[in-house]
Amino acid sequence: MKCKRCRRAEAAVELPSHHSAFCPDCFFVFFRRQVAEGIRKLRLLAPEDRVLVCVSGGKDSLVLWDVLIDEGYETEGLYIDLGIDGYSDRSKEKVLAYAASRGKTPIVVELAKEGVPIPEAARCARMQECSICGTVKRYFFNRVAAEGRFTVVATGHNLDDETARLLGNLLHWQRGHLARQHPLLPGADGGLVRKVKPLWRVSEVETAAYGFLKGIDYVTEECPMSGDATSLVYKEALSRIEDRMPGTRIVFYQGFLDPSNPLRKGPEAAADGNMAREDAPAADALRAAEGDGEGGAGPPQVCVECGAPTYTETCSFCRLKERVRKARSLRVARVSR
Amino acid sequence: MYNAPMITVRLPQRKKELEIPGPRRVMDLLADAGVRPTTVIVTRGKKLLTKDHRVEDGTTIDVISVVSGG
Repeated sequence: MKCKRCRRAEAAVELPSHHSAFCPDCFFVFFRRQVAEGIRKLRLLAPEDRVLVCVSGGKDSLVLWDVLIDEGYETEGLYIDLGIDGYSDRSKEKVLAYAASRGKTPIVVELAKEGVPIPEAARCARMQECSICGTVKRYFFNRVAAEGRFTVVATGHNLDDETARLLGNLLHWQRGHLARQHPLLPGADGGLVRKVKPLWRVSEVETAAYGFLKGIDYVTEECPMSGDATSLVYKEALSRIEDRMPGTRIVFYQGFLDPSNPLRKGPEAAADGNMAREDAPAADALRAAEGDGEGGAGPPQVCVECGAPTYTETCSFCRLKERVRKARSLRVARVSR
Repeated sequence: MYNAPMITVRLPQRKKELEIPGPRRVMDLLADAGVRPTTVIVTRGKKLLTKDHRVEDGTTIDVISVVSGG
């Protein structure tokens, strides 16, 4: 099969959803254009932004960092060591190696040192690992960004991630979540930094192909804690539909993002009349859900424990930390009895 | 007894390796391995293979899952 763009070289990547196939060089051009178009269309980034790229060692986040560097953005990487035996060490190794190859040194947060390594925190708090992981990551993304004076936090969520989340929200009629789901989470007064998902237009196959062809050495093993993640069920369902009807996923998501979509005009999104961006949902309502995982309107308050922005007296991270601390003390007391 | 060379299909994330007689197209090898083509990339060394690529006996290919969860 020949490349449909240059019509000379042998194709390496076939994309039925785009009725196309590309040789490596033409695929690089295609992929970067897709990301740039996603950024431009929703005004995710500005040339003067200082971008904190959250990198896990997986394909999506490392590819995101790679593309943003190549596109000339000022970036730094943030790696959060989740404290998962073996897996975290291997992920960190990939991040450090990639960063070194681009002349960078990532910021590293070690959850063990912060008192909340994910496996132990989940056991102590009796919560699902993925749920705790989300809370802790969101907290540090924002804290590191605010402390480092970054203007925006970027994550590697791709089209498959976003459509899986959309399907889950639709199947359970999570109207609040539907109103707020968007690749752009505007910043808010009180220390909430803007969050963006520049890979929202590209699929997992595309990011994997880009990473492989660029020689980016990423972690291919899955997080050992994510086996029961419901997102995998939604991904599989969507992938089966995509097999039969290529292009369905992007149509599904772009239709959802259309500003005229009534699902995107829920009470939360409509609460703020001051829409900073044409396609962007209301900042406060969005951040109320994503910033601290809590509901609420208006600008965030300050956590009485750590000073982080929150919609409750104590932020969800500090509440989690307290639960872990109490469970540890109880355990120690039982052992010493 | 002489063993004819076959295609080696490695699935590292499943910790599995299959020997399949060739020549076969990538999409047929994936069907034999029970893998849906839209969930993986298929590589041979530093080369990425399209699903219609014909693989000869004696070749080793890697099937890398692209699905991330959590």
